[in-house]
Amino acid sequence: MKIKLTIATALLTLTSSVFSHSLQLEIREVKSNQGKILAQLFNGESNYQTNNPMMAQQTMAKEGTLIVTFSNLENGEYAIRYFHDENNDNQLATNLIGIPTEGYGYSNNAKGNFGPAKYQDMKVSIVDSDVTTHSTVIY
Amino acid sequence: MERRQALKSLVVGAATTMLPATESLAAFLQQETDSLAENKVLFDKALLNNPNLIGFQGTHQEFSKTRLTIEGTIPKNIKGSFYRNGAALFERGQQRYQHLFEGDGMIQDFHFENGEIYHQGKFVKTRKYQQEQQAGKFLYSGPDSKVINGLPVSTPEAINTANTNIIPVNGELWALWEAGSPVSISKKDLSTLEYVNLGRNSDYGNTLKGMAFSAHPKIEANGDIWNFGLSHTGHIVLYQLNANGVTRNVNLIKTSYRGGMLHDFLITHKHILLILPSLEKNNTTSGFFNAIEFNDQLPMQVLVVDKATLALKKRFDLPPGFAFHYGNAWEESDGSIHFDASLYSSVDVLHHMNTLMKGLNPTSLSTAKTTLFTLKPNGTVQHDYIGENSEFPRINNEKVGLRNHELYTIGSTETMLWNDTVSNYHISNGKIQQYVYGKDFLVEEHIAVSPTNKEGEGYLIGTALHVPSKRTCLNIFDVKALSNGPVCRAWLPYHIPLGFHGNFVATT
Repeated sequence: MKIKLTIATALLTLTSSVFSHSLQLEIREVKSNQGKILAQLFNGESNYQTNNPMMAQQTMAKEGTLIVTFSNLENGEYAIRYFHDENNDNQLATNLIGIPTEGYGYSNNAKGNFGPAKYQDMKVSIVDSDVTTHSTVIY
Repeated sequence: MERRQALKSLVVGAATTMLPATESLAAFLQQETDSLAENKVLFDKALLNNPNLIGFQGTHQEFSKTRLTIEGTIPKNIKGSFYRNGAALFERGQQRYQHLFEGDGMIQDFHFENGEIYHQGKFVKTRKYQQEQQAGKFLYSGPDSKVINGLPVSTPEAINTANTNIIPVNGELWALWEAGSPVSISKKDLSTLEYVNLGRNSDYGNTLKGMAFSAHPKIEANGDIWNFGLSHTGHIVLYQLNANGVTRNVNLIKTSYRGGMLHDFLITHKHILLILPSLEKNNTTSGFFNAIEFNDQLPMQVLVVDKATLALKKRFDLPPGFAFHYGNAWEESDGSIHFDASLYSSVDVLHHMNTLMKGLNPTSLSTAKTTLFTLKPNGTVQHDYIGENSEFPRINNEKVGLRNHELYTIGSTETMLWNDTVSNYHISNGKIQQYVYGKDFLVEEHIAVSPTNKEGEGYLIGTALHVPSKRTCLNIFDVKALSNGPVCRAWLPYHIPLGFHGNFVATT
């Protein structure tokens, strides 16, 4: 009985230490309350490059700063990208030549130079604790 | 709507491959010497020995309303404002840009009022200008100038300098730069209003937001505004706006053009002419303008587009060549199309403007020749040179897309650094009228102002910088008697930076 309890406690401890972390993204300079913020979380570069998000979050837009939180994450490397879906169509609007016309951004406040940001600039590592990162919306 | 979706799907994703990869550039630049600081040292040294360079020094200062000193008589029937635009701010801190096209735009307004002429000049307050003004230094790399640890450029709009041309639209002015949106300006006080979303008030909405809109739109006599924008893929967006600046029609023409830069185009009463010069951007060379090369094996190509549908109708191959500017195109009843070009046999002139920014004299300068082309319905092409050394071609506004008989240009006679001569080519009879300002002047674009709205009547007006006295003057010629010199010369008590293009807006 005692052994069983010990194993259960150990498992619980293990579970909480591996899966209980959160990644918080503080999104700054949202320009209006219109529409929503759609954010995707990627675990590792290959998932980002193959457009395979691990989780997605939807938050009502709020002028100024808002926070998006992804919870229950294990240790590892993550990246977040998001956009301000002002017209509520669930798509990042672009002009005719593909330049975004709605606000967008990346974890680690990564910015692209004549194109999207690089994964290496947006990646965030979780190692045994919660992590907070921020991003200013690019309109 | 279907068409716009189709267009969008054609190019969506293109943003992911925009312009050069710069991932390793930041690390590289950390070790690089500050080329912009070196440029300033070179220019300042050269300026001590070459007073002509004051035209290219630039300014930080705006110009409040100042009355000009008049020589001669101001024609009473000129009523309105002559607006000009040009790159004017080239230096911040101890740094100087490397290419003449990189400076922040400044609007000059020569206003005719109660028998006097007044000048004022203000910078276009683009986001870039405001950010850099606040920081007191350059924050963004330009097309050729690399700012060490410069801020990333999310879209071309971030570095829009609105520095090339200015046109009247619906009671406002639009300051134009060829790689981004127009920036609207108040006619009243030259204050900057907003970045124009070309899809506003139309079904196009945000699909045109931030799109390239060239600095050489063609405004037809009915007020319609035609223009194009070159995308980084080489595809060309065509626009038809009504006189109120509302977009009526848009199309994307797919091309394999790899020249990187396309400055001007033409219209006839039926067609749009996209003229693709013999340029290729060498992606192994640094810089944007710096990487543009002339390929003497590559024909110039004319794409003839139907104005009614914005669809490509025909292509013509021309001998290899390059032009920044074209004056006009028109079409005969048999379908023959005529147009003129200020034609170069190389792209040295583009790189000359890099040399100028260092204060160095070019070793050899290629000049443009006024060339008349005819595109025949059977696909053949004819061309004739009618004038040596001519640039900044302009015509009477009423003749845009229609047969013009006169073509106004500037060129150089006594100096090589810049222009010192204004010319009127009578295309129909081959006669040329010229006025040589002479080597003491740096002469800018001259435009036709016709109070009667008739070609060959009225005035030719333009600015020139008098180097010995360091003053800029506005010159008014009787268009019929250009060779007699200006009927009126109005002097500023100071000089202003040399600019690019402008237009006269009559007071109604």
